Amino acid sequence: MATPKEMMTTWDSIQFGAVLPSFEDPKNKVRSKFNSFNYKVADWRVEKPVFNRNLCIDCDFCWVFCPDSCFEVEEVVNKRGKKQAKIVGINYDLCKGCGVCVEVCPTPIKSLLMFSEFVDNDDALKQWPKKEDKKD
Amino acid sequence: MATKYELKSKEIWDGNTAASHALRQAQVDVVAAYPITPSTPIVQNYASFLADGYVDGEFVMVESEHSAMSACVGAAAAGGRVATATSSQGYALMAEVLYQASGMRLPIVMTVVNRALASPLNIHGDHGDMYLGRDAGWIHLIANNPQEAYDMTLCAFKVAEDKSVRLPVTTNQDGFLVSHTAQVVEPLDDDTAYKFIGDYTPLNPMLDTSNPATYGAQTEEEWHFEFKASQHKALMESPAVIDEVFAEFEKLTGRKYNRVESYKLEDADIALVVMGSAYETAMVAVDRAREQGIKVGLVMPRSFRPFPYNEMAEKLKNIKAVAALDRSCPMGAMGALYNEVSGALSANGQAAIMTNYIYGLGGRDTTAEHILEVIKETNENAKAGKRVTDLQGFINLRGPKLSFN
Amino acid sequence: MLQIRWHSRAGQGAVTGAKALADVMARTGKYVQAYSVYGAEKRGAPMSAYDKIDDKPILDHSKWMIPNYVLVIDPSLVFQEEIVDNTTDDTVFIVTSHMDKEDLISMAKHLEGRKVFVVDAIKISQEEIGRAIPNTPMLGAFMKVSEIIPFEDFLVSIEDILSKFPRKIIDGNLRAIKRAYEEVK
Ligand code: SF4
Ligand code: SF4
Repeated sequence: MATPKEMMTTWDSIQFGAVLPSFEDPKNKVRSKFNSFNYKVADWRVEKPVFNRNLCIDCDFCWVFCPDSCFEVEEVVNKRGKKQAKIVGINYDLCKGCGVCVEVCPTPIKSLLMFSEFVDNDDALKQWPKKEDKKD
Repeated sequence: MATKYELKSKEIWDGNTAASHALRQAQVDVVAAYPITPSTPIVQNYASFLADGYVDGEFVMVESEHSAMSACVGAAAAGGRVATATSSQGYALMAEVLYQASGMRLPIVMTVVNRALASPLNIHGDHGDMYLGRDAGWIHLIANNPQEAYDMTLCAFKVAEDKSVRLPVTTNQDGFLVSHTAQVVEPLDDDTAYKFIGDYTPLNPMLDTSNPATYGAQTEEEWHFEFKASQHKALMESPAVIDEVFAEFEKLTGRKYNRVESYKLEDADIALVVMGSAYETAMVAVDRAREQGIKVGLVMPRSFRPFPYNEMAEKLKNIKAVAALDRSCPMGAMGALYNEVSGALSANGQAAIMTNYIYGLGGRDTTAEHILEVIKETNENAKAGKRVTDLQGFINLRGPKLSFN
Repeated sequence: MLQIRWHSRAGQGAVTGAKALADVMARTGKYVQAYSVYGAEKRGAPMSAYDKIDDKPILDHSKWMIPNYVLVIDPSLVFQEEIVDNTTDDTVFIVTSHMDKEDLISMAKHLEGRKVFVVDAIKISQEEIGRAIPNTPMLGAFMKVSEIIPFEDFLVSIEDILSKFPRKIIDGNLRAIKRAYEEVK
């Protein structure tokens, strides 16, 4: 397999079939520059999602819907002995602040909310709406 | 009754907007479509026009382009005025049904936004899809800018629905270069546009339940040949109707279209054949070449099918060398324009030196400078009185020079 | 021919901005072309949009141009060297940034010695329109710098072009345009 550098080249040395390697080093999972994971658009963000672990039910909707693979997960075993992906955080190097994750989060008080880029995450968690807030 | 749409005498429209307004003004009864880049806005706009009450019609969302064209065939056979839009992979998926539509002589209008065919995946413009549909029995009209995308779409209905033609028509515009490029467009008002196209007269409508009929019956060796021959004849004789429609359109708008367009050909020694938005870019190159003393002109088939053989030969009768520029990879042959023009010349005993250039695949930029290079090479052939350049070259391709002889 | 190149991220409205400018200019009798070039189809990905404005019909459909103006509506793209591609010493840059000109140029070395104007179109659009859509304020800044048509005429045209939007949005945009017109330096 050709390395990324050799890819976008002249007609006489181009890789057959426009086959692009996902990994520069598959063994160590070093992603190639063609991997969309490395195509970062986080600079664009003006608002960021903040994750509240205390409310999250690990439905993984955010993980599925996030267009930029921002959600970091940990493999855990749940009560019934089944493997499950536990959401542990957001990779802000990838997040473009689109708000899709907040939109899809199903918990009665959202486990994800958008805050201004300049708000500290701990402060954001302190401002989180409480159940009472919702009723009125 | 549909609400009238207020239009200014000059609008800033891209090719997609222009085509969708033409569909609206034609008061198309049914649009069945599966939107695909870069033609998506055409059907999207039609759907909003419909939702906002600007069209009396029906928008059918289907699950694929094969179904889109199938639904168009059904609706047209039922007796409606029908249109759709597509590009690239969608066009390819329709291929089977394109032949059904033309074989059943259904005057469907399809506004194609030309885009490269995968693989490799590419959303940008080339003529790969148009060339794929070349033999499908449709009339193919070419638009080089948003104004023409509008004009050709209006004309397409009138040509398709003429009782001596009764064939489906595509209008073609280059993906992004025309479809997403906003320019000044002078539209007709709704009433004038509709009056130009006229009411739709169905022929053997299946909804006429007192007269049940079958479309596209099984024919086998007894009659298949006769059907196909008569269909081909309709295409071969459609130029008369196309000319009439263009003449009527000129009377209405002052904008004159010809089955073979040409530019500065009268005193030219050499000519380029080029189709689509690059034809206009080539005009800029021709002007520059003329400043340098090269007598060059341009020709373009406005109708790619029916191909204007004799008119093309007539236009090129004093030309010494011709370069045909194809925006599609011919894959083991010369490009289609090279072949058609060579055939047209040889049928008329003309012997201009022919060369072929491939350009702009997948939206690769083709500038006036690039075309000027081709003009200079073609001029070398004319001066030498024989071909001294390679038979097939590539314009603005990255890497060492690639050519074939 | 006047040639303008926009640098933006997909979703910030450069295409709409370029089309609006073309529309404004066409109303003064000019011929125009407005188009855009996309890279990867991903919201937030860098992209460019283009305006060509001329007294005669524009035939050249190639994407290539030597811009007279470069409009950068995303603050982070100011630091990408591509914004100076195919420019000349006369090319005017109007860029979005919260920094002042000197600080910005000291960080974006490729802009040294260039004609640079700065406006915080992101902040203006957030405050006036309520969203980070910096395209219309950039048009305000462009009108101030280029003096291409009288600002009053521009305001009349742009209000008409925006007329399909709710009144609140139109007013927000007009405020943003006027503020950018005043604040560009
Ligand atoms: S805001 Fe968008 S990009 Fe960021 S984590 Fe949520 S879904 Fe992903
Ligand atoms: S969508 Fe909400 S509840 Fe579901 S995993 Fe993500 S943060 Fe947790």
